[in-house]
Amino acid sequence: MEKSKIRKITITAVLSAISAVLMFLETPLPGFPPFLQIDASDLPAIICAFGIGPIWGVAVGLIKNSVHMLATKTMVAGEIANFLIGASFVLPAGIIYKKNHTKKGALLGLVIGTVTMALAGVLTNLYITLPFYSKMMPMDTIIEISNKVNPYIKDVMTLTLYGITPFNILKGILLSAITMLIYKPLSPILHYSKRPC
Amino acid sequence: MLKDITLGQHFPGNSVLHRLDAMIKIILSMLYLVLIFLVKGFVGYGLLAIFVFCIILLSTVPIKFVLKGLKPLLIFIIFTAILNLFMTSGTVIWQWSFLKLTYEGIYFAVFMILRIVFLVLGTSLLTYTTSPIALTDGIERFLTPFAKIGAPTHELAMMMSIALRFIPTLLEETDKIMKAQMARGADFESGNLIKRARALIPLLVPLFISAFRRADELAIAMECRCYQGGKNRTRLNVVKVGKIDIIASLVFLLCAAVILTANLAG
Repeated sequence: MEKSKIRKITITAVLSAISAVLMFLETPLPGFPPFLQIDASDLPAIICAFGIGPIWGVAVGLIKNSVHMLATKTMVAGEIANFLIGASFVLPAGIIYKKNHTKKGALLGLVIGTVTMALAGVLTNLYITLPFYSKMMPMDTIIEISNKVNPYIKDVMTLTLYGITPFNILKGILLSAITMLIYKPLSPILHYSKRPC
Repeated sequence: MLKDITLGQHFPGNSVLHRLDAMIKIILSMLYLVLIFLVKGFVGYGLLAIFVFCIILLSTVPIKFVLKGLKPLLIFIIFTAILNLFMTSGTVIWQWSFLKLTYEGIYFAVFMILRIVFLVLGTSLLTYTTSPIALTDGIERFLTPFAKIGAPTHELAMMMSIALRFIPTLLEETDKIMKAQMARGADFESGNLIKRARALIPLLVPLFISAFRRADELAIAMECRCYQGGKNRTRLNVVKVGKIDIIASLVFLLCAAVILTANLAG
């Protein structure tokens, strides 16, 4: 069935709702700082990007974070960082899969998405999140504490490189694995859904 | 676990704050955020406390209800306080192995706690006094300048209000699917990372499928009603910036100016 724009809007909206729900189910990863939390909320975004289009996937991230902002559980900086990091994963993956509509293309897109996400993670943490958190607590002591856990961490740059980049890469790999597992069974329903008479 | 999530923290009422235009409230909240990071010193924080207290009184939202919004942040606040208390270098008052209590530490800890508390109290009032629908409407109008350069602001606002509408439904749905899969022996809460990620699949697939079905039904309903996007669409309630909004903005700016001058003086 032809995908109308309205259908794109409603599917993106509902996927954003799932994404927001999943964002509340976040759990901290063992061995990482507590504000780095993993959740499956980027999954609807990547499925939207694969199924409908890269831009719609980014829209899911935008709406998810706007909704999350209303709940004011975290500071706004966390949501901005989450959106930028999520978009940097979804957009390249979606574009590559659109160009190369095969299983190989999907895998390639997800790998490149993971790499760009790790890069974006370094940049957003260096320029948005960590400066923001340093308004709340002394940065030097965070580095001092991290230094005891991981002796390679000496300053802000090494903190992002050794503390946050592995986290983002791990997150990207997990996301990619789940996407590869569930996208195939979902895509026929997404594309040729039986409309109720 | 899922029942604890409060999204629509809206507290219905008819106070001045409730009647303010949502767009103005969003802009004022943003200015308030900036203000908080500029405030320094006892006088500044004192004035800010009076200001926040007056606004809470004005909003007619019970103080108990407002303070409840701080609860999820409790761990974060305690963590920040401890970090600041013991890790700031300066004049040492008390020492036990590597833990040092310093004057500067106490000073910073108090200010950081105040900063977080005021941040949350002030911004949560926005969601307390504005219904989610008014809020998305406010966001859409706040973003209209971007629509002029081609950004799909109407579509985004539309998707956001649909998402807000569906979050409670999908929360219930998630809960239902989780219970159904647990009854079949699924385990969501133990095992290592890979096991946990795998456990998500029997939850996610049915969730996505039911969501797609809902999206389809909604799309048909909207098409039947000839929905066609932002242009030429009229509203049921036309909101305009009124006198009350201008007065509120001026009062806020005046208060901010007073607090900032106290900042410079103190």
